[in-house]
Amino acid sequence: MGVMKLAGMTLAGLVKQPETIQYPAEEKPAIPGHKGRVTVDVAQCILCGICQKRCPCGAIAVDKASRSWTIDRFRCVQCGSCVRECPKHCLTMDPARPAVAAKKHLDSFEVPERQKTKASAAKESAQS
Amino acid sequence: MTFQSQFVPLSIEELPALAVRCKDDGWRFVQMLAVAVEDGVNLVYSFMKDGVLVNHEIASVKPEDHVPSITDTFLAAFVFENEAHDLFGVQIDNIAIDFGGHFYAVSQTSPMTVISPAQKEAREKARKLAAAKAAKEAKAAKEGGEAKAQDGEDAELEAKLAAMDPEKAAKVRAAMAAKAAKAEGKEA
Amino acid sequence: MGKQTIIPFGPQHPVLPEPLHLDLVVEDEKVIEAIPQIGFVHRGLEKLVETRDYQQFVYVAERICGICAFGHSMGYAETVERLMGVEVPERAQYLRVIWHELSRIHSHILWLGLAADAFGYESLFMHCWRLRERVLDIFQKTCGGRVILSVVKVGGVVRDIDVAQLKYILDVLEGLRAEYEQICRAFLKDTSVKNRTVGVGYISTEDALGLSMVGPFARASNVDYDVRSLGIGAYGQLSDFQPIVSSDGDCYARMEVRTREVVQSIEIIKEMILRMPQGPIAVDVKGAPADGAESSMVVEQPRGECYYYARGNGTKYLDRMRMRTPTSQNLAGMTVALAGCDLADVNTIILTIDPCISCTER
Repeated sequence: MGVMKLAGMTLAGLVKQPETIQYPAEEKPAIPGHKGRVTVDVAQCILCGICQKRCPCGAIAVDKASRSWTIDRFRCVQCGSCVRECPKHCLTMDPARPAVAAKKHLDSFEVPERQKTKASAAKESAQS
Repeated sequence: MTFQSQFVPLSIEELPALAVRCKDDGWRFVQMLAVAVEDGVNLVYSFMKDGVLVNHEIASVKPEDHVPSITDTFLAAFVFENEAHDLFGVQIDNIAIDFGGHFYAVSQTSPMTVISPAQKEAREKARKLAAAKAAKEAKAAKEGGEAKAQDGEDAELEAKLAAMDPEKAAKVRAAMAAKAAKAEGKEA
Repeated sequence: MGKQTIIPFGPQHPVLPEPLHLDLVVEDEKVIEAIPQIGFVHRGLEKLVETRDYQQFVYVAERICGICAFGHSMGYAETVERLMGVEVPERAQYLRVIWHELSRIHSHILWLGLAADAFGYESLFMHCWRLRERVLDIFQKTCGGRVILSVVKVGGVVRDIDVAQLKYILDVLEGLRAEYEQICRAFLKDTSVKNRTVGVGYISTEDALGLSMVGPFARASNVDYDVRSLGIGAYGQLSDFQPIVSSDGDCYARMEVRTREVVQSIEIIKEMILRMPQGPIAVDVKGAPADGAESSMVVEQPRGECYYYARGNGTKYLDRMRMRTPTSQNLAGMTVALAGCDLADVNTIILTIDPCISCTER
């Protein structure tokens, strides 16, 4: 009979845990490794601009003169190229979902001057 | 079965005979594509049988050339022939289902033959690089021996520098000069 | 002799997953002829090759289609690797096959849901898509994305799957299989489904060969061709691979071929996981393709054979990248299948060729 084919699954559905969650009251926990949004550790950034060159969408803008690192999160497609190519490993993918917004905007970060470590200071004095 | 692919040349006059021959021998029609090259459009017709993929390439079709359609033997080709006509401006006669240029209603005629500025710039740079490398190698061959080895290295370095950002290249050159000066200073 | 009317079908239609326009010439409930028209999602992606270098273009190739996303990135990477003579490490090849077969499972289950929706069986559609979520969960755990995976690069893959995750994949697939068998029974043994699909949209073997059809659409008409038997990449390491063929040639046969392919894919994944070698997952690719170099490659996507062509010109931008997708090849077959059918069967026939119009138009 054509009627009883899905009976097993349908009746089981009455007692099983539902497959869906009551969003936004509940939220699915972020899975590690999920490609959410790009975060930058500005203390390590050397403003080399490699992330800007490798981005396939042109979402990152690095300005050496004003020491800023800007990302257009609406252009980012979460491919992960910038994270892999950064020579100082200062970019990471945060598994949280990107936030929604009513208007497009850019996220700009100020990159502080690199702290002079002992090794680099010694190198500089040897050169002069 | 293993997979092999090859590219063989073809001319426009041989195309209908090729289609009939392939149909009779049991070759499967795979696809037809168009590539925009310097002096026209290349058409590639692919057929496959028993794991061997043969791409027949008609080189440099001009906009005035009329190419016969193969839809009388292989009906499935009408999609690709209409696309080649719309996007590349190739004139194909007697397509079985002919949309007359309205298959992909694009706003610009033959958009794939227009070369974007970034691509043009990259091609010019590559051409200059290749010419510089060839010239250097020719010079080295004339002088010969030890000088050749040094020149080969230099040519590679020059090629690398030419491919980089001009700003970065200047920095690298300055660093190299400083290194050379330091080496000389040490020896002296 | 009745009057002929032309009914426009699409591009907006509840049953179509993607926009396709058909002009159906109808006479008294029978379709005499169907003239297809595509071009509604033409995005000119092949032209983007000129402004994205060959490593960045993988991300464009992925986004040609949501369902066949991994297949396109893998095919593109294989074509460029062939163009530049790059040898991909074995482990990367095995990983690519595992993800590709998972992609096939998710695509076929998605299609089964859409086919059920096409003849009005909505609860079956919901159950199929619920099962598909399990496969998407696997993707999310191993690649970080549900539909667009972004794990392939020219030279290998970007992420590795460790032993714990491989075990997780096997567990999920076993759990999936039990419920999947129940759904298959609902598809293949149900009389109402059989009434809608048996004998509908028949294409003979000669027609299938003459129209150069590919994929499960052709294999249901007894055309024994599957790119996976050619043994490209890690497919060559399979102990035994037989394409699933049926000789009935109607919509029911196409459905049956796809349901059996899911089970075959689960077996392939199990074998790949068992025999996975250790080693690096990628090689560094430097330089650019030579001027005038060309290469071509074929990949068995869930919908059929997909052909890729790449041409280099000495710069890091490729000269031309061309993907010939299986649906563009099957459009002629669809037009022939629609001739002579009832108007009510148009939905089912179009769905059974598994149209992926975004792939066709790029």
